Amino acid sequence: AQTSTDSESTYSRAGADSCIACHEDAATMSIFKTPHAVPTDARSPFGSGQLQCEACHGPGGEHAGRVRRGQERPPVIRFGSGTATTIVEQNGVCLDCHSGDAGFAWHGSGHDDNEVACADCHQVHIAHDPVLQTANQPDVCFDCHQQQRSQALKPYSHPFSEGKMDCSGCHSPHGETTDRLFVRQTLNDTCFECHAEKRGPYLWEHAPVAEDCSTCHDPHGSNHPGMVSLRGPMLCQTCHSQADHQSFANGPDGLADGTASKYLLGRNCMNCHTQVHGSNHPSGSKLMR
Amino acid sequence: FSTAPAMAQADTSNWKCEYCPFPSGYDAEVDVGASYVSDDAARFGNASGYDEAGGYLNLGGEGHYANDGYQLNWFAEDLGLDSRVFEVDGGRQGKFGFHLGYSELPYRLFDSTSTVFTAASSETLVLPTNWVPASLTSGFTELATSLQPRNIESDRQTLTAGANLQASSDFSLFADYRHQERDGIDIVSGANFIQGSYLPRVLDFETDLVDLGVAYSNGSLNLSLAWFGSFFKNNVNSLTWDNPFTSFPGAEQGRLAQEPDNEFQQLTLSGAYVADTLKSVIAFSAGLGQGKQTEQLLPYTINPTITAGNPPLSNLDGKVDTTNYALTVTSRPFSKARVKLAYRYDERDNQTAQSSWSRVIVDSFASGENELNTPYSFERERLSVSGAYRLFDSVRVSAGYDRTDLQRDFQEVAEQTEDSGWGQVRWKATQWLDIKAKGGTSRREIDRYDTDLAASFGQNPLLRKYNLAYRYREFGELTMSVTPAELPFSVGLSALFADDSYSKSDLGLTDSENLHFSLDLGYTLSETASIYLVGGVENIDAAQLGSATFSIPTWQAEHEDKFNHYGAGLQLRQLGEKTDLSIDYLFTDGSTSINMRENGVDNLFPDLESELESLRVRVNYRKSDRLDVDLSLRYESFQTKDWAIEGVEPDTIRTVLTFGADPYDYSVWVFGVSFRYLIGER
Repeated sequence: AQTSTDSESTYSRAGADSCIACHEDAATMSIFKTPHAVPTDARSPFGSGQLQCEACHGPGGEHAGRVRRGQERPPVIRFGSGTATTIVEQNGVCLDCHSGDAGFAWHGSGHDDNEVACADCHQVHIAHDPVLQTANQPDVCFDCHQQQRSQALKPYSHPFSEGKMDCSGCHSPHGETTDRLFVRQTLNDTCFECHAEKRGPYLWEHAPVAEDCSTCHDPHGSNHPGMVSLRGPMLCQTCHSQADHQSFANGPDGLADGTASKYLLGRNCMNCHTQVHGSNHPSGSKLMR
Repeated sequence: FSTAPAMAQADTSNWKCEYCPFPSGYDAEVDVGASYVSDDAARFGNASGYDEAGGYLNLGGEGHYANDGYQLNWFAEDLGLDSRVFEVDGGRQGKFGFHLGYSELPYRLFDSTSTVFTAASSETLVLPTNWVPASLTSGFTELATSLQPRNIESDRQTLTAGANLQASSDFSLFADYRHQERDGIDIVSGANFIQGSYLPRVLDFETDLVDLGVAYSNGSLNLSLAWFGSFFKNNVNSLTWDNPFTSFPGAEQGRLAQEPDNEFQQLTLSGAYVADTLKSVIAFSAGLGQGKQTEQLLPYTINPTITAGNPPLSNLDGKVDTTNYALTVTSRPFSKARVKLAYRYDERDNQTAQSSWSRVIVDSFASGENELNTPYSFERERLSVSGAYRLFDSVRVSAGYDRTDLQRDFQEVAEQTEDSGWGQVRWKATQWLDIKAKGGTSRREIDRYDTDLAASFGQNPLLRKYNLAYRYREFGELTMSVTPAELPFSVGLSALFADDSYSKSDLGLTDSENLHFSLDLGYTLSETASIYLVGGVENIDAAQLGSATFSIPTWQAEHEDKFNHYGAGLQLRQLGEKTDLSIDYLFTDGSTSINMRENGVDNLFPDLESELESLRVRVNYRKSDRLDVDLSLRYESFQTKDWAIEGVEPDTIRTVLTFGADPYDYSVWVFGVSFRYLIGER
C-alpha cells in the first residue's frame, strides 16, 4: 500500500476545504481554536502560503481523492502511539517547526530515548491542551509515570491532587541539558525557585542541604511530614553518631505514654536543632540558633 | 536532523480555506457558584482553601478575544477562595505576546495547636505577664490559663508578568518576572540549654525572580542566551522569645537568626546544532552563576551577662560561584541505530571565607572554644554513553553506561565515583501492545572515608553517611501498555524495584529497597460512557545500624513504609442529551512500621498510619445553549495515627513546651452549585 510518506504523493486540490468536507466533526474543527490555526502568523500551519491540515498530516491528495468500492483509502500521517506512522516520523513533523522551542534539546532526552510521541502527551485539536493546564497536566504525566502518581497521593506531597502544581514546575519534559530535566541547572536550583530562603549561603551550612535536597526529602511525596524519606530521629541518626543523644536507641518506650522522650516526639531532633537548613547566627554551628 | 517525512511541493494558490472557522470577536464563560463545607479541617483546606466550615461564594471563568491575529485571553479560578488564580495573556502570535498572573496558595498545617506566646512584633514573642518559669513543663503553673489557639498556616502569593517579542524570523526576546510573597505562621523551636519551646514564628518572605533572554533559531542552529536573577528578602531578621523555662542568668530571652536575604544571578548560553550530514544533534549549555549573602550578623548572644566579644565579621559576605556545563551528542548513523554521548559538569564553589568563631551555647554560657565555618563546595562530573538498535521492526534494544565523579570539601569523603550500567528491551508486538523491560546495576566507590575528619566532629569512626558511603544498587523496571484500537479497553502496568546495599557500612544506613507496582484499566462502555480502575502498591524498606556505646552496633532500626492506592471512576456523557455525570473515588492507605531492635530485643513502634477516602461527584446540566448548571459533591475523610504527636500535649515532654497538635482526623462534605454562562459564540 502507498504510504503517506512517499515524496511523490500529491497535495489536495483545495487544502483544508478538502479535509473539512469529510472531517467536520467538532473534535477536528477545534483545531481552529488553537495556535496552529492563526492565519496572520506566517509560521502557523494556517498561515499564508502554508499547507494547512497537510502541513502536519502530509500530502492528502490521494487520501481525499476517489477510491474504488472496497479499496482502502490511502492513509495520511496520523499521530499517537497506536497509529501506523512511526513515532520518529510523527515527532519529525512536530520538530520541523518546534525545533527552536520545545525541541531545543529533544534529541537525546529521556522521552526521546523512549520513543514517546509528541501526541502521546499533547492534543493539538483542542482549545486547551490538557497537558498545558496546571490542573490536568499531572494526570497526563502519570499515565506513564505511575510511581510518581502513587507518590503524589501520599499524605505529605506537593499540591498535585488539588490541581495547584504541575510536573513542569520542576521538570522540562522536552528535554534540557540541565540535570535530570530540571527547569534549572540542578535539583537544588530547581527547589530554590519556590524555597529561595534555603539558598544561602549560610554561615553554618548543613552539608547535604548545600549539595542535594533529595538526600533527605522525597519531593514526589512521602509517608512522613516534610516529605522526608525516613522518620526522625532515625533519619538524622543515619549520619550523626556522636557519643551522646545522637546515638541513643530511641525505642517505643519514649512515646507519650512512656518517658515522652524529647529526642523522639514532636519534631524530634528539630526540637532543639531547628535550623536544619542552615544557620546564619554566629553561635549557630549546632544549628540551634 | 530531520526525521520528518519528505514532503512534495504544493500549489496552494487555490486554497481558500472558505470553511475554516477562524475565531473572531469575543466570547467568555463566566462561572458563579456557591459551596458549603460541612466541617473545619486545616489539612482539607491545604491548597484548596476550604479549611473552615460554612459557605463560600466563588467566581471563575475564561474569556477570549481574537481579531486579525490579535488575541486577549483571561482565565480565573477559585476567586472566592484562598487558592485563587487569575491570568491574562495576549498579543499577536508570531509577533509579540505578554502574560500577567496572580495566584494564591494556602498552606494549612494545623488548626489544633495552641501556644503561650504572643507576638509583640514580628521579631519578638512574649509570655503572659503572670508566667512563672520552671525547669520542667510540669512546673508551668500558668500553662493551662495561658494557652491560646494558634493555627499553623501561611499563604503564598505569586504575581507573574512576562513578554516575548519575535524580533525577526530568527531572533526572539523574552522576559519573565515573578514576585512571590509568603506570610503567615510557621513552627520553629527555640532551645534553651536542655529545654526547648515551640515558637509561632512570623513568616514574611519576598522573592523576586527574573528571566531575561534572547533566542536565535534558524532551523539547524538554535541558541539562547539567558540571564536569571533570584532576589530573596526576609522581612523578619531574627526571632527573640521569652524563655518559659528557668534559665541561666541573663538567658531569660533567647534569639534565633532567621533566613538571611540572598541573591543569585546566572548567565546561561545554551543551544543545539542539527548536523544533517552527520545525522547528529549537538546540544549544549554553559551556565555561570554567583550567589551572595550579606545579611548583618547578630551578636553571639542576647545574654547581657556574657562577655563574648564581637563576631569576626559584621556580615558573612558569603559568596558561592556555580558552574554548569553540559554537552549531548545524539547521532543516528543509520536508520536502525542511535547513539548518545552526554557529559555534564556541576560545580558549587563556596568562596565564603573561613573565620574563627567562638560560640555562646543557646544564649546560656560560652563554649570557650573557637571553630571555623565550613563553606561546603563540590564538583560533579557525569558521563553517559548509550546506544539503541532496532533489532526487528518490533524490537528495540538499548544499553548504556554512566559514570559520575564527585569531589567535595570539608567532608569525610573527598572523592567518590559511581559506575552504572543498564540494558533495556522494548517490544512493540503490535500497534497496541508495548512492553518494556529494563534492568541494571550501579556501584558507588569512595577513595577513602576520612575517619580523622569524622572524629573531629565527634562521629563514631564506624559510621558511614549514606550519601558518602560505598553503595551497590540493582534496579529493574517492567512496563506494559495495551491499547487495542478495535477493542474498548486499555491496560497499563508498571513494576519497578531498586535495591541498595551499603555493605561496607558498619554503622548508618545498611540497606534500602523500593518496590512499586501499579495497574491502570480503562473500559469504554459506549460512545458516551467509560469507566476506569487504578491501583498501586509501594513498599520502601530500610535498615540502619547504630551504637549507643560509641563502638560496635548495639541497635538496628528496620523501617517498612507501605503505601497503597485504589481508585475508580465513571463518566457518563449526554445523559438525556443534556447531562454529563462523573464520579471519582479514591482510597489510599499508608503505614510505616519501625522496629528498634536493641541488643537482640525487638521493640516495635505502633504503626504510623494514614488513610484517605475521597469521593467526587459532578453533574453538568446544559440548561440552554448559553447556560450550564454544575452540581458537585465532594467527600473526603482522612485519618492519621502518628506517635510523634499523638497524646503529646504542650506539657507532655518534660523539657519541651510544644503546641500540642493532634493527628489528622476529619471527614468533610462539600456541596456546590455553580452556573456557567456563555457570552458571545462558543
